Amino acid sequence: MSSSVSQQLSSAPENPKKKQGSHGSFHRFYDINGWTFVGGAVALVALFMIYPILNSLWLSLHSGRGIVTEFVGFGNITRLFNDPVFIKALSNTFIFLIIQVPAMILLSLALSSCLNTPNLRFRGLFRLAIFLPCVTSLVAYSILFKSMFSYEGIINASLLWTGIISDPIPWLTDPFWAKVTIILAITWRWTGYNMIFYLSAMQNIDKSIYEAARLEGVGAIKQFFYITVPLLKPVILFTTVMSTIGTLQLFDEVMNITQGGPADSTMTLSMYIYNLSFKFVPNFGYAATVSYVIVFFAAILALLQFKMAKDK
Amino acid sequence: MTHAMVKGIVATAVGFSMAGAVAQATELSVWAWDPNFNVAIMNEAGERYTAMHSDVTVKVEDTAKDSLEQKLHTSLASGMTKTLPDIVLIEDYNAQKYLQAYPGAFAAMEKVVDYSSFAPYKVDVMTIGDSVYGIPFDTGVTGMYYRTDILADAGFTAEDLQDITWERFIEIGKVVKEKTGKEMLGNDPNDPGLIRVMMQSAGSWYFDKDGNVDIKNNAALKESLELIRDMTKSGIARPTMGWSEWVGTVNSGQVASITTGVWITGSVKSNPDQSGLWAVAPTPRLTVEGATQTSNLGGSSWYVLNSSENKDAAIAFLNEIYTQDKEFYQKILVDRGAVGSYLGAGEGAAYQTEDAFFAGQKVYSDFSDWTAQIPKVNYGMYTYEADAALSAQLPALLQGTDVDTVLERIEQQLKNQIQ
Repeated sequence: MSSSVSQQLSSAPENPKKKQGSHGSFHRFYDINGWTFVGGAVALVALFMIYPILNSLWLSLHSGRGIVTEFVGFGNITRLFNDPVFIKALSNTFIFLIIQVPAMILLSLALSSCLNTPNLRFRGLFRLAIFLPCVTSLVAYSILFKSMFSYEGIINASLLWTGIISDPIPWLTDPFWAKVTIILAITWRWTGYNMIFYLSAMQNIDKSIYEAARLEGVGAIKQFFYITVPLLKPVILFTTVMSTIGTLQLFDEVMNITQGGPADSTMTLSMYIYNLSFKFVPNFGYAATVSYVIVFFAAILALLQFKMAKDK
Repeated sequence: MTHAMVKGIVATAVGFSMAGAVAQATELSVWAWDPNFNVAIMNEAGERYTAMHSDVTVKVEDTAKDSLEQKLHTSLASGMTKTLPDIVLIEDYNAQKYLQAYPGAFAAMEKVVDYSSFAPYKVDVMTIGDSVYGIPFDTGVTGMYYRTDILADAGFTAEDLQDITWERFIEIGKVVKEKTGKEMLGNDPNDPGLIRVMMQSAGSWYFDKDGNVDIKNNAALKESLELIRDMTKSGIARPTMGWSEWVGTVNSGQVASITTGVWITGSVKSNPDQSGLWAVAPTPRLTVEGATQTSNLGGSSWYVLNSSENKDAAIAFLNEIYTQDKEFYQKILVDRGAVGSYLGAGEGAAYQTEDAFFAGQKVYSDFSDWTAQIPKVNYGMYTYEADAALSAQLPALLQGTDVDTVLERIEQQLKNQIQ
């Protein structure tokens, strides 16, 4: 198959360069070799990427129980708009996104800026401490957070001991506090990860720029906002896009800490997909439709962020 | 020389494979989820069977319940049945879901097994049309486990707790909280198990006998919701998150009672320091029409996969141990606190055991009596959808939303979810 494709390509009459007859066999040789080299990769991508994508698209047009399904066309999409749990999951996901992503980006910017100060002692130790959370397994740290934030957990115990609160906070059993717990957990886990990107980018900024700024009498805070942040723009964009996509797919923490509860207050789209497939009567078609919602929003948000970064 | 070696190896390999074919040793694989309960019981069943049929052994794979269900769903949906075991344990609330979502996946056994020897409500769960799938296993007959010492401190005797209503339960709880500072029960707002216990005790469920959603006008559910609200508001329910915290409130002595299925016995008994301090009373009742002092929570059954190469051997094994071996039921009762749904089991001597942990009370004799009185309901296949719809409205209920409005919303969400 690859040879017939290359034949077509090499004998394409529109291409004027190909008309130089004597080089024809040379091009043909290149085409065959080229296709042989990429052929394996293309076949694997087709099998493990393109086929599942197309198949899940086809699946999302079906609905039913387990293997007993029927074609419903766009029925699943209409169902989305009337599904209170889906709407709740979508709004929860966006609440996490809107509060957590900016907070985490600002926090890691501030931290990396502090840790980039040349005369700070034990820099390596601090960097390690803040980066360490992101080498822990998602499940392990979730379970740790669950026990720390439980009613009798260490968080409540220490807050009570210091006298900040007089009654234990129902971190995991109250809809509001459960959201707070999840946001705290993912911020703890991912801040260090983003910080590393900023740190490495900051070290690439020419020191003479800061020196010039200092000579002009520009303060440290102004330096940060007018030199550091603009020069980090591509990295900030990258981390924002990655965090957005990550938060849209939020699953492990919710699954292990709250199971989407209480009262669906921490239900995310991925958690809902899990419930539709494994907890409820399995409706893989509808679950596939919900997963395309994640794809849709991830694409839209990434595009939006690229546009915003370009305009400035 | 190398040729001779190759020949030798080939000959040995062929020899081994032939020997394997001749001996025909069958190993039955089983999936179950509780190492102290159903896994241990299945191992016991396997040992008993192997003692009589030396060519059959049983290997139980202990998997967490969630992962077991995931693996089962993905294997059945993809048709990759090679990775599936011969026998799998399925919770009763989920049985109809699997049977209807994967037709043909499980082996029908009505031609082999005598189902009249099991509690009828268990057989209903596994019946579709004329076909019956699976072997009924344990029941989740409920009782109220309580700490005699804590209640005595609050001024209550065993008689005060016999055959009470839930309203009285709350009144007692308030006194206990006031006098001892301990809560009456642990309650997980994500898990409406107690609401299901209350509902079924009055012969009612999320669905009516024909499987239609029955929530808006369900008097038993309405009263159950009001009771849960009152329990939470009066401070007699300690909030917990997840199974281990919930059981933890009992083992650490933070709460005075736990009302749930008989399978909790092992967990209650896991703190030896509390030996002699526990007693079991009948489940408190509702005040609606048809209210009883017995209910059920959970319970599960064994199913044989149709794709299994050892299908017949698996059915023969289950049929011999679980539907005939009374001694086996005595043993799992004494060792594991398992009350089987096999009706012949209750006649045995083990059911008359006086348990020192419960200060000499014949708890199993009581549970056995209550098992026969469990009101029959139609679980349908959407119990977890209903649970989710109900849990979603619980905070609103606790914040003072009118119960009828809450019921209306639950019904709406559930109807939407199961379309």
